[in-house]
Amino acid sequence: MKVQISSVRIIQHIGKISLLAGSLTLGLSGMAQAETFRIGITQNNVGVDSYQTTYEQAFKDAADETDNVETVVLDAGGDVARQISQVRDLIQQQVDVIIIWPTDGQAVVPAVKRAKEAGIPVVVTNSNIAEAGQPLIAAFSGPDNIKQGAYSAEMMCDQLGGKGEIVQITGQPGYTTAKERQKGFEDRLAEVCPDVKILDSQPGNWNREKAQRTMEDFLTSYDRIDGVYAGDDNMGVGALNAAKSEDRADEMIFIGATNFAVGYEAMARGEYHGSVYQSPAEDARNALETAIAVAQGKEVEKMSYFDTPKITRENMDEFEKPVF
Amino acid sequence: MNKLFASIKKQPIWIFVLACFVFFSFASPYFFDTGNFTNILVQASTIGLIALGMTFVMINGNIDLSVGATLALAASLAVGLQPELGITGAVLVGLLSGILIGALNGIIAWKTGVDAFIVTLGAMIGVRGLVFIYTGEESFYAQDLAYSDFGASEVFFIPVMAFIFIFMTVVSHLLLKYTIHGRNVFAVGGNRAAAKEAGIRVGPHMLFNFIFVGFMAALSGILLSTEMGASTPNLGRDYELWTITAVVLGGTRLTGGYGSIIGTLGGVLAIAILRNGMNLLQVPSFYVLIILGSILIIVLFIDKRFSEQQGQGVGA
Repeated sequence: MKVQISSVRIIQHIGKISLLAGSLTLGLSGMAQAETFRIGITQNNVGVDSYQTTYEQAFKDAADETDNVETVVLDAGGDVARQISQVRDLIQQQVDVIIIWPTDGQAVVPAVKRAKEAGIPVVVTNSNIAEAGQPLIAAFSGPDNIKQGAYSAEMMCDQLGGKGEIVQITGQPGYTTAKERQKGFEDRLAEVCPDVKILDSQPGNWNREKAQRTMEDFLTSYDRIDGVYAGDDNMGVGALNAAKSEDRADEMIFIGATNFAVGYEAMARGEYHGSVYQSPAEDARNALETAIAVAQGKEVEKMSYFDTPKITRENMDEFEKPVF
Repeated sequence: MNKLFASIKKQPIWIFVLACFVFFSFASPYFFDTGNFTNILVQASTIGLIALGMTFVMINGNIDLSVGATLALAASLAVGLQPELGITGAVLVGLLSGILIGALNGIIAWKTGVDAFIVTLGAMIGVRGLVFIYTGEESFYAQDLAYSDFGASEVFFIPVMAFIFIFMTVVSHLLLKYTIHGRNVFAVGGNRAAAKEAGIRVGPHMLFNFIFVGFMAALSGILLSTEMGASTPNLGRDYELWTITAVVLGGTRLTGGYGSIIGTLGGVLAIAILRNGMNLLQVPSFYVLIILGSILIIVLFIDKRFSEQQGQGVGA
């Protein structure tokens, strides 16, 4: 045992020397290059869908193209506990800004608090964190979901010609994105199309099968449905499938959000009528730009949104087919 | 020197821990730092606490696959019941749930004679279902900030989670090495029939160990939830695999009869240091999996070589 203890001491010495050497080189490089920012990101779950995979690649590419930016790119694999560990590790590395794509909007709040207390500003990307965390973050970078809902309302209004009865399939109950899109849609619809009536709203939990069952129930309950608004295309296509199997799809207008590949294809076939185009690459670039602005100490908008345009049959040629 | 060599042969994982330690100290300027060491201990504590209990069960020749689900259930109860019972009451119910699931596993394995692997596999699936029913697939949040403040607090200048982990490691080591129960753990795992002949009440003995690991899983889950101020229904997914990996890395035999808390601590630290170091060097997390998989096989290979030479079955 004694031998082991002394070897630990040796390692401690070595460690201190390397630490000294490390800080020396860090100091030298700091002199040579005036402002190099180190930005750490902990993502939600990169492997799980191609939106997130594309996001990561776009983030790395954007960082490579930007001068004076080093990035530490981590992935929490969907595990809240691992994301919290990663925030600890990023604090330990004293990065200039931490970008977090929350695995859970509420459970990461204490970790964000820890980062702020360590003097490291946090930028939240893609989906926002809970209300309690808002005073702790430097900025949120992502899609404007209220606006997305409003866009969908405008498209619905146009395609229905200002009149009709529609149903709404919302996202996961309790999720900010779901709530915001619903609010944006309902508020804007009342403004632009007071004669379009929402018959019913039920959750589809972002899930295609669940949305299909929800739509089946709507089809049983209502003899006349002129339009369907779904909180994303995944659910929209589920609703489309339900209507098709009852041979009632032709009489309806389908509007979604977050254009998925399946929605894009259905639109090309003329079965699906409108959506909102949300590019993961734009999402990633916006997050990096926001983080750099924060690192430079610039004034940034607390809510930094990237553009998510309307996509319909008419203009779909301008957009590449989504990878997810 | 001979003694050192002997202990290294017994605990090959510590060579790896030391090697990692030296490597990362050189490779990353942020690794060698007391702040980072406590980081590693906090990160190790979740898997670590369960692994301590699992060591007892595995030396017994059993296994418990339900720990990840138990962790989630305890965390959900400890957060979800706070509005009704207050923090203390909810935490106690959470701990009790772990004890109950452990007892249930132990009693079924004891009374029916069904292999613990199957019993706890059933519990793993069933308890996870229970978590989904109880939570309605939603996360719970602690309204009282005192709950998450506990997770961020410190005892003797080290984070409370790291402190509890160290404390429980010492307790487990003493329990395994210096008590009659601890001796019996090896006896039962080494040769169950002989242990029975020798007058050890094997059933209640194993029951105790299942309760112990259930309690540790619940404790681990509750501590994790204090770090987040929340619980999520998917908490602890795959943790049974990481726990078993840590214990096996530490030299405990799947067949039972051999193992130690010191070894388990080494296994837990190996995983935690690798993850932490790789994060500091920003290596994608997939590589950690490849390295850990390889190390697992190498450690078992070394272990098999030496144990065949010595022909020993029981040790601490």
